[in-house]
Amino acid sequence: MVAAEVEDLLRRLAPQVLGAVARQFGHFDLAEDATQEALLAAAVRWPRDGLPDNPKGWLIAVAARRLTDLLRADQARRRREDTLAQWAMAETGPPPAGERNQADRDDTLVLFFMCCHPSLPAASQIALTLRAVGGLNTAEIARALLASQDTVTRRITRAKQSIKDSGVPFALPPPGQLPGRLGAVLRVLYLIFNEGYEATSGAELLRLELAEEAIRLGRALHEALPDDNEVTGLLALMLLVHARHRARTAADGSLIPMAEQDRSLWDRAVIDEGIALITTALPRGPTGSYQLQAAIAAVHDEAESGDTTDWAQIAALYGVLLRLDDNPVVALNHAVAVAMATGPRAGLALLDRLESDPRINADRRFHGVRAHLLEQNGDRHAALEAYHEAARRATNLQQQRYLNRQIARLQDSS
Amino acid sequence: MILTFASQQDYQEMAGQPASQPTWTQEEYAALGAFMHAFNQELADSGELVETRGLSAPAHTRRVQLKDGVPVVTDGPYAEAEEVLAGYWIVECGSFDRATEIASRLADCPGPEHVRARARADVRPIDEQQPDFEG
Repeated sequence: MVAAEVEDLLRRLAPQVLGAVARQFGHFDLAEDATQEALLAAAVRWPRDGLPDNPKGWLIAVAARRLTDLLRADQARRRREDTLAQWAMAETGPPPAGERNQADRDDTLVLFFMCCHPSLPAASQIALTLRAVGGLNTAEIARALLASQDTVTRRITRAKQSIKDSGVPFALPPPGQLPGRLGAVLRVLYLIFNEGYEATSGAELLRLELAEEAIRLGRALHEALPDDNEVTGLLALMLLVHARHRARTAADGSLIPMAEQDRSLWDRAVIDEGIALITTALPRGPTGSYQLQAAIAAVHDEAESGDTTDWAQIAALYGVLLRLDDNPVVALNHAVAVAMATGPRAGLALLDRLESDPRINADRRFHGVRAHLLEQNGDRHAALEAYHEAARRATNLQQQRYLNRQIARLQDSS
Repeated sequence: MILTFASQQDYQEMAGQPASQPTWTQEEYAALGAFMHAFNQELADSGELVETRGLSAPAHTRRVQLKDGVPVVTDGPYAEAEEVLAGYWIVECGSFDRATEIASRLADCPGPEHVRARARADVRPIDEQQPDFEG
């Protein structure tokens, strides 16, 4: 077996092994270290010696042995320092009858919930999820997040310590907390995905891997919760956006807006998969924000060009999304879609309502959209002013260059 | 109920991990497995075996105790050399003497000499005077 195949297998087994060890012995923090060491040992040995008969069993046995060592060392140190490890167990109560033997299937799910525990800061949730569920090692995570290895190690160590201190048992959250906790998991996956899309030219390739990792994790979550509409919606959304990645960047690394992308570069197979997923989820209801965003992405993906896009449908979907989630960026996108569907004047009217919203009125995106709609509406003077405003607020060089090009173009045309 | 005992050190030696004491060889370990398998099979065949279990290493122990009136969990309460319950058999047989006879056959269990020298098994009757909740 070649190293790459072994690596794939190990990444797939990682959460199952950690789940099995942490469920049997507790000590999520040490179990996580022990699992990493078992994965490392396998990555060295398997390509050389071949696969053991039962790869998962082998990893669990090695991790369990390593965990015993780590525990003994920890306990010996505590005895020396006379600091017994004492803590109060958080209450979980028995699982509902009939669900007691689903541990295997649920392990990955439990890990998602632990890694995305609301008490952890987002950066730690991301790093821990990539490691414990994704099976990435610290160096790989550091590369993917463009952070130093020390930083990632610190984040993971602190996250595990705070899970340990909180006494969270290795179990699914109580039913009453499930929706909220699942929301946190989805948010982390979406953050990982978007992190992959904050592409800078030099690191483009690695960041793409991060988006793909988010999709892989999304698939694992969808496998564990196939009937959850928002889980399905998020997976669909990521696929439908990711399908366009080859058309997104120009040779010089600059971003190409969707209207100007070569749509023949969009990945049809991935689009079809995303559309199939969202088509299953939507009629089941209730409709959540990830499903709506996926539906919007699907409408874009189905269009031959920017002009033939069904903007009325997109505007309607953004309208529903806005009712679910009072988010100024959604409101901005809504205004753009309305302008595309019914003309710049209607879009500008919506922007006027946003002008007093402090969450967005200082954002370059607000001024950029406004400039674009003003120009379309024939108000060249106001458009120029708005482009200047946007360029002043842009922080990224690419964005500044784009906006300054628009300013130069408008000035030339006078 | 037949109970056997071992320390964390014993577990380490059985796992073949370097320690101050010599570890079990592959042959010794295989012989132990074969003996236990035959021992259990015989008890199952005679209909006397109710249940048997081996416990994982003492390092994995959690102790729950009241502290200021609330239950508090302590990790790994045992010292390395402290002998604790390692496994048990529940046998349903004619008499306490028969149960003791079964336990005495564990004396034939193979293993390194220094382990055999301090190995022991306790036999204790299960209190059957409890009210029977299943009616």
